[in-house]
Amino acid sequence: MSVIERLTGDFARLPGIGPKTALRLVHHLMKGSKEDTRRLSRSLLDLSERIRPCDVCGNFSEHELCEVCSNPRRDGTVLCVVEEAYEVGAIEGTGQYRGLFHVLGGRLSPLDGVGPEELNLAALLERIRRSEGEIEEIIIATNASVEGEATAVYLDQEIRPMGPRVTRLARGIPVGSDLEYVDGSTIAQALAGRQEMSI
Amino acid sequence: MRLNGLAIRHFRNLGSQDLELPSEGVALIGDNAQGKSNFLEAIYYLETFRSFRGARDEQLVAFHEGVFRVAGTLQERDTGRSMKVAAAFEKKGKRKKVSVDGAEPDRMGDVLGRLAAVIFSPADVELVSGGPRERRRFLDIVLSLSEPGYLTALQDYRKILVRRNASLKDGQPSSVVVAWDSGLVGSGARVMRARRDWIEQRCGAFRDYYQEVSGGIGAQMRYRPSVTLADAACKEDIALAFRDILAASGERERRMGTTVVGPHRDDLLLRLEDDAEGLDLRAYGSGGQRRTAALALRLVEARTIRETRERAPLILLDDVFAELDGGRRERVLALMEKEEMGQVVLTSPKESDVKIRKDSLPRWRIEAGRITA
Ligand SMILES: [Zn+2]
Repeated sequence: MSVIERLTGDFARLPGIGPKTALRLVHHLMKGSKEDTRRLSRSLLDLSERIRPCDVCGNFSEHELCEVCSNPRRDGTVLCVVEEAYEVGAIEGTGQYRGLFHVLGGRLSPLDGVGPEELNLAALLERIRRSEGEIEEIIIATNASVEGEATAVYLDQEIRPMGPRVTRLARGIPVGSDLEYVDGSTIAQALAGRQEMSI
Repeated sequence: MRLNGLAIRHFRNLGSQDLELPSEGVALIGDNAQGKSNFLEAIYYLETFRSFRGARDEQLVAFHEGVFRVAGTLQERDTGRSMKVAAAFEKKGKRKKVSVDGAEPDRMGDVLGRLAAVIFSPADVELVSGGPRERRRFLDIVLSLSEPGYLTALQDYRKILVRRNASLKDGQPSSVVVAWDSGLVGSGARVMRARRDWIEQRCGAFRDYYQEVSGGIGAQMRYRPSVTLADAACKEDIALAFRDILAASGERERRMGTTVVGPHRDDLLLRLEDDAEGLDLRAYGSGGQRRTAALALRLVEARTIRETRERAPLILLDDVFAELDGGRRERVLALMEKEEMGQVVLTSPKESDVKIRKDSLPRWRIEAGRITA
């Protein structure tokens, strides 16, 4: 397989990119400056070698602790639980949230064989236990899909007996949409309007 | 809604045809296996975007072809406003494309029922003699077409149900299984309430239609929900009842590996009104009685469309009179003349069987899929 074919195939596996777009990207890179292409390849390399999950919350990080967890000015009494690490960025983008995060790495999805064991959940419960009451509120920001809702119910069941308040982002986030695709002001409103979980 | 024009491409054996439909409708005459039902199937596809015969989309694409397409030009009777509804399916990518006036909807549910059509078919007898699944499907289609929000609730319910069942089958602890209950109960209660309300509102019409067609005794339809409901229970009561029975079924569903109560186990009971007991038509009805009950269900469906969508329904009749005895046939025809029906498209193998609309419908012929006026 030629280099061009291989790279086209690699691009085509990325979300939202079809074979035609992939080929166009490859052509673009071949026509552009060698320095640009080298910089891109270095960034890709850095991404694979230097980015890792944060030891505490599971967010993308370049060190043991991510930028959020290592920032002493963040409010350690509130913890926002999201499905995927890229959703941290969506909430950070609002500039309205000062608390910490916890990334589950998915959601309850029995059709894909994902139960509580497969999620970064034990670490969350351990974090709450170890905080000895310092964590006062858990904001559940799982998606508004049927699986995100069931995950929220499950988290509520597990966390509430441990003490913290459990709240859910307010409605207004379109059903079934990932936080990633929702605009910042909608997320900010959902955060401000969060409500106690009730089942 | 009036169907003015129909463009068909590679749908079953119908080939490529562009047809203009007369405003009163048309009677399509042809021998068996020439494509009469396919023609009605193509029209009704624009109502629900699936085959009324339960065929998969792949089966609708003509042999040796990759894509079928059906497009209809509709015109509102009162305002004269026209609209184009189109549907296409590509076999290779299993892709369905639906559009209204060229725009693709975000969700299929947003464009269901544009035709306001009802189809009567000999297979309808299955509604009465078949299993509960047939009757739930009937309720689901009628309610999806007439009740805002029903389809969304039903789809949510089904999604949650398969996931909850997978958790049960997987032997997950009950703390995981019950995480689905809140969603299941919420969507399920909406489905049950809509079914209960529709059946209660329409049971009088069902009795009357049955009686008029049979020319004798009447029949009843009753909701038989899987979750026992108190009379006049509101949505919250229904949800509570569902939640209670779900909680009480924990051991049984664990053993069976599946959710054993809920609207996916509902039924619609059809009974003769001959005595206090009421014979179940499914088990004890004669062929004629079952066909009559099936006709009555479709007539109730037509009335629902007329009342909720405020337009005379397009009536599609797939050779339905052949299997009725003479008396019933006359009475159905009389009933259809009396009810406010829109355009009528009917199929029949025989000229003599098309006496609807005082025998005034223009005749078309069909042979090997080719339609000629
Ligand atoms: Zn962190």
